[in-house]
Amino acid sequence: MYGRKGYQLVKDFASGEKGQLKPFNSKLFDETIEECEQNHHLIQSLMRKMQREGLEVPNNRNADHYGALVHHLSLIRNKRCLMAYVHNRAEIVRDLAWRVGLELPYLPPEILEKLTTLEKEYFKNHSVAITSYMGKAGLELNVDMVPPKDPYIKVRVVGDIDRGIMMNDKATNFAPHSMHFLKRTDAEPYIARGQMEELTG
Amino acid sequence: MASNSEMGSADFESLLSTSDVELLKRAWRNEKAAPEILPYQGDLVERAKGQIELVEGNIEDYVEDGIDPLVVSLYQMDLDRTQFLLRSYLRVRLLKIEKFMFHILKSEEAESRLSEQEKAFARRCAADLTKHFEESVLLKLPENYQTVQKQSLISDEDDMVPEPNLDTFVVCRSKNSLKLNLYEEGETPVILDLDRGEPSFVRYRAVKRAFESGEVELI
Repeated sequence: MYGRKGYQLVKDFASGEKGQLKPFNSKLFDETIEECEQNHHLIQSLMRKMQREGLEVPNNRNADHYGALVHHLSLIRNKRCLMAYVHNRAEIVRDLAWRVGLELPYLPPEILEKLTTLEKEYFKNHSVAITSYMGKAGLELNVDMVPPKDPYIKVRVVGDIDRGIMMNDKATNFAPHSMHFLKRTDAEPYIARGQMEELTG
Repeated sequence: MASNSEMGSADFESLLSTSDVELLKRAWRNEKAAPEILPYQGDLVERAKGQIELVEGNIEDYVEDGIDPLVVSLYQMDLDRTQFLLRSYLRVRLLKIEKFMFHILKSEEAESRLSEQEKAFARRCAADLTKHFEESVLLKLPENYQTVQKQSLISDEDDMVPEPNLDTFVVCRSKNSLKLNLYEEGETPVILDLDRGEPSFVRYRAVKRAFESGEVELI
């Protein structure tokens, strides 16, 4: 059935958890593109046929005219689905730039491997756009993502962090599983990258 | 109007509500709640930035002077909150620009609401996303179907541009008693009475005008 591939592609995206990426479904994606090409070939051959018969395409509402129309509608439906797929993934990519970090190496490997080369490129470009705005505004906007309740929070180190990072002019030893009482603003970047977790309660 | 005995507190409240932090809080709340981008509060942002710098300087002085750390941390907490408000205000706007970039760049009215930096950001975003769309999808499609804004070349209008949904419901509060027509022209009018200070749940489109003139605020 025409247009089904695009629908499956969108469903594939929608079946993922909200805000989480699945690997790019390039098989289904390419099949949808291929269906678009088939539709286009059929539109053209139908129009050529009508021209051979000496009929003007826009004015003659015969079977071939409607045939071409069906292919056209299938094509634009597939286009909408393809665009929706890329658009929604791009939204998540932008969200990653805001929430996790503005450099590709900051993204955890399990997310990185789900991005296509083009999406990585988009991530980089968009990060530059954000950075350049922040530079001109003179404000860092990708910190302080949640309203501050307390200036200090308790955290536990989960990942491997280079030891001896300076915080508050004191060298601290961030050994794995050690617990610390830090300024929220200092700890936030590490929490975003999953290297620390906030201890609540 | 407030009775005489309440005057004192009403005066104090009105004084408090014109402080920059309160204004910023209101701008932030409105921006968060409104589906479309609102006019940029440039002067307010500049004043807030100045005040933040001032307090930051003060806090550094306090630390040097050896003032009680508890007092310093109270100032710090207050500063953190103001900084959060400012950052979040600007951030909410950027996220809206990201979401509706093509629409904003198309509509002169929407674009005029942005700061210069936001305009540059919007243009850059649109260029990046267009490039991403073209390389991922559009260049692989047949010739007549390659534009971002239209489904195909025979579409008369730009029918692929996401726009803010102005029919979404918002919670709003009126500063004074207000009569509000819930429907647009041509339809049977339904008048809703908004009492002063009472929160109501209405379509954004219906309060848009009252909201823009400042009679109503979103919460």
